[in-house]
Amino acid sequence: MNKKARRNLFFGIAVVFLSGTFLVAMTLHARAQTTALEAGTVAWETAQAVSQSGPALVIPPPKQEPCLSCHITGENKNLWTPLGRWVVFGTFGLFFVFGIYRSASVWTQRKQWVPLTTRAVDWVDERYDIKEPMTKILNKPVPKFALRWWYCLGGITAFLFVVQGITGIMLAFYYKPTAAEAYTSIQFIENEVRFGSAIRMIHAWSANGMIVLCIAHMLRVFIMGAYKAPRELNWLSGAFLLLLTLVFGFTGYLLPWDQRAYWATTVGTDIAGSVPAVGNLVLVMLRVGWDVSEATLGRFYGLHIIITPLLTVTFMLAHFMMIRKLGIKKPL
Amino acid sequence: MSTVNPEQEKDSVPFYPDHIRTEFYVVIGIMVLVVIFGVLGMLFPVGLQAPADPLNTPLHVKPEWYFLALYQILKFIPPQILGIDGPMFAVVTILLAVLAVIFWPFLDKKEDSRKAVRVRFILTVIGVIIAIAMTIWGEVG
Repeated sequence: MNKKARRNLFFGIAVVFLSGTFLVAMTLHARAQTTALEAGTVAWETAQAVSQSGPALVIPPPKQEPCLSCHITGENKNLWTPLGRWVVFGTFGLFFVFGIYRSASVWTQRKQWVPLTTRAVDWVDERYDIKEPMTKILNKPVPKFALRWWYCLGGITAFLFVVQGITGIMLAFYYKPTAAEAYTSIQFIENEVRFGSAIRMIHAWSANGMIVLCIAHMLRVFIMGAYKAPRELNWLSGAFLLLLTLVFGFTGYLLPWDQRAYWATTVGTDIAGSVPAVGNLVLVMLRVGWDVSEATLGRFYGLHIIITPLLTVTFMLAHFMMIRKLGIKKPL
Repeated sequence: MSTVNPEQEKDSVPFYPDHIRTEFYVVIGIMVLVVIFGVLGMLFPVGLQAPADPLNTPLHVKPEWYFLALYQILKFIPPQILGIDGPMFAVVTILLAVLAVIFWPFLDKKEDSRKAVRVRFILTVIGVIIAIAMTIWGEVG
């Protein structure tokens, strides 16, 4: 068996395994939802029967699956219907797009045939001159000593930051940063939102992974002495990025607004408050008052979703550009 | 096309497509982990404790795990050190340590050597072991 075939086999096994796991999870999820729905329906019917015989009682209808396709009559509204439709129409759509691409690629003049994509790139290049700088960026040689797993740690941290950004935006669609609704909105995400619990799990564990990998990357740089001149500012920006990651963790921990979150924040801000001279000022600025309250929740939410991400992106760009400029340090 | 001189070419790979491909495999691996965590999340959700109640302090109040080591150190500081308030002393020490870490390249300016690398490696291992022990102690105790 040659190398390519083996790789394809591994890839196939991985795909089969993952989709199997996914299917099992989906089935269990769907079954749990169906059971809950059936239980609700039965209770409602019994209640209705009771209300018909007794005094008039207005009972709200049971909670139903949001109907995604009620304009098509007689349709079975299960979990897979929208997905199946996406697959079917998506496949046709891909054929259609491919056909358009091929027809638009046909060159009608007596010139060499050029694919549409190349023509598009040339069109942009004529105007904005992107090819030369892009070639410079893409052709930058990477030293072979850097092809080791411990040189990946920083990159994986950056990738997890992207994962955090995407899942964080997904959670922010449903989360409400008020003392009255924060807890129930998290419950809503976990129980009602499709894939909500999966997204929350990914967000929680990527956060831990980001902190671990950030520290691991820092220790790698420390051991190898890659912070020495002329790379002092690389280290400085990296240290700020670690602090920002910790701020992310600290502010995000309060948002579920349960007992653990509340008291962890109380303890954490207490420690910040015991700094001499500026302690009380820091404490009041963090808590917006002397106690952890709804105002604290709002402040932490703002820090978590606006200020810290902006700062992190800025420092990350600076970090990457400095690495690009100076290259990777050769180990001793 | 390539602006690399032959000497560099021997001990380096081009960023595109060779290095990008390696990075792509790493990203795929992490994505698989992420999807596994997602499936686990659907089976065993992260969950919530009781809603926040400012009037009801739980028995064991703990910060996040990455602050546990520091918290554990703070817990074992005596109330008075050399006539100064103990916790304040500890917090100032930790702040100075953080500042030292941030500005470390400006403190350690010596030419690097293999011996220095070894010393730093051993120091790191000892530090990591202490931090992990403190974290576990904080989690269990």
